[in-house]
Amino acid sequence: MKIWRLISGYVRHNFMAGMAYRGAFFLQIFGMMINNLMLLFFWNMMFLSFPTLNGWELQDIIVLYSIVAVGFGFSVVIFGNASRLASLITSGELDYYLALPADPLVHLLVSRMSLSGWGDFFFGLLLYLFVLPSAWRNLPLFLLLSLLAGLISTAFAVLTGSLAFWLGESEQLAAQLRMALLNFSLYPVDIFSGGVRLLLYTIIPAAFVGSVPAKLLTDFDIWWLAGLILVTALMGGLASWVFRLGLRRYESGNLVTVRG
Amino acid sequence: MLTRYLFVARVAARRQWFYRRELFWRSISMILFMVVFIALWKTAYQVSGRSELAGYSLAQVIWYLGMAETVMLSTSRSFVEISEAVKSGSVAYELARPLSYPLLQLARSLGNSAPRFLLNLMVALLVVLLGTGQLVGSVPGLLAFLLTAGLALLLDALFAVLIGLLAFWIEEVMPVYLIYQKLLFSIGGLFLPLEIFPLWLQRAAKWLPFQLIAYTPARAYVAFDVGELVRGVMGQLVYIGVLSGVLWLLWRLVQRRLVVHGG
Repeated sequence: MKIWRLISGYVRHNFMAGMAYRGAFFLQIFGMMINNLMLLFFWNMMFLSFPTLNGWELQDIIVLYSIVAVGFGFSVVIFGNASRLASLITSGELDYYLALPADPLVHLLVSRMSLSGWGDFFFGLLLYLFVLPSAWRNLPLFLLLSLLAGLISTAFAVLTGSLAFWLGESEQLAAQLRMALLNFSLYPVDIFSGGVRLLLYTIIPAAFVGSVPAKLLTDFDIWWLAGLILVTALMGGLASWVFRLGLRRYESGNLVTVRG
Repeated sequence: MLTRYLFVARVAARRQWFYRRELFWRSISMILFMVVFIALWKTAYQVSGRSELAGYSLAQVIWYLGMAETVMLSTSRSFVEISEAVKSGSVAYELARPLSYPLLQLARSLGNSAPRFLLNLMVALLVVLLGTGQLVGSVPGLLAFLLTAGLALLLDALFAVLIGLLAFWIEEVMPVYLIYQKLLFSIGGLFLPLEIFPLWLQRAAKWLPFQLIAYTPARAYVAFDVGELVRGVMGQLVYIGVLSGVLWLLWRLVQRRLVVHGG
């Protein structure tokens, strides 16, 4: 219960902090929505030349984009600090979270919000609701799948950020791995052949962020859904375990900072 | 006068080279991009049973993407530095230098791009060669690519400085950059050669500067043609002139707007 209060308190606080600069806030949301829309332009052109790609049509790609955008948006809005984990570790800034009674991992994850993430979130939701037929009926499933996608991408960010406990300066590596997850999740997993496909179900689990939930929405299968929930739980557990393991190696930076 | 800016560019290039480990990680972006697109285009050509699309064979499309991405991954991010300097007020210190601030930023930006461009080019050549098993292009094509890519990076640096200076008016310039970047991705021809677009869009795109940054160099490499090259270079020079003029005007406006309160 305490953890929910912590999360909701931070979300409210971060949102209000963002709204202090209202112009920048709305510009970021609007910019991100246009940004995403223009990525869809590519697919539109592609499907003009090739109507189907290994069973994927434009409508399936729109489902894929909606889920990834809402899931990723949710992840960076609520857990916006995950992308800074590696730099927090190397600069010794974890001390602040360790000295407080709240769970340090959850606390550090929620203490920042990506404002442009709202743009991803609303883009995905609007795309889903207004472009796809029977969208309203499947809305609860869509939201559940997006939530799972978001949790997997957060867990992945924690895992890649935690590499800094062992490797030292590895912000670039963590950023590249996060980018790889996002990039690969925006393409149908069926276009990739053996080795790469296996990679996308394991080391860079992009298939579980994009293609698997998208397939579930258009062609529901209870066992695949159960599998996706299991993968999310496993990823979450693994991320939490690796972070705690890393904490044992963590050395304080003795950094004196003032937090407002 | 020019030697000062060349010195700035050289220092920026050496600084990039000093942090080559970071450069190396960045080049992974190229590998990821090419893995995705090689898979995508191979599937597309295979499924449709086509041997060419809008005059491009599979190998040509992949080489085109590799070359376009080489330029794209070497583009400037000076808007970040400029907008932060504007927001923090440290731009005042930069103004005290005996150099024009916009030209200083352009020189720094080109200096930063040069080592990244060389590394990206080497990675692209390697990845595309492994991915396609075919060498596409020619020596004149490569020379034309180097010329047009250089001009493309200058054009892009002008855009980046202009976007950075917008920080004098708007609080956050990142959304503007993202839109500019996606214009390069789409009608700039990064993801798809312009010939694949519907005719009306091709015509519109050809008048805009974005295709001069991604499409022109990549096209010069895979399908070298003197007439096309001359048209491309002329277009690049015209837009470099136009954007330089806009930058000059914008900088005059900025100087009127800037208030320095001691420090």
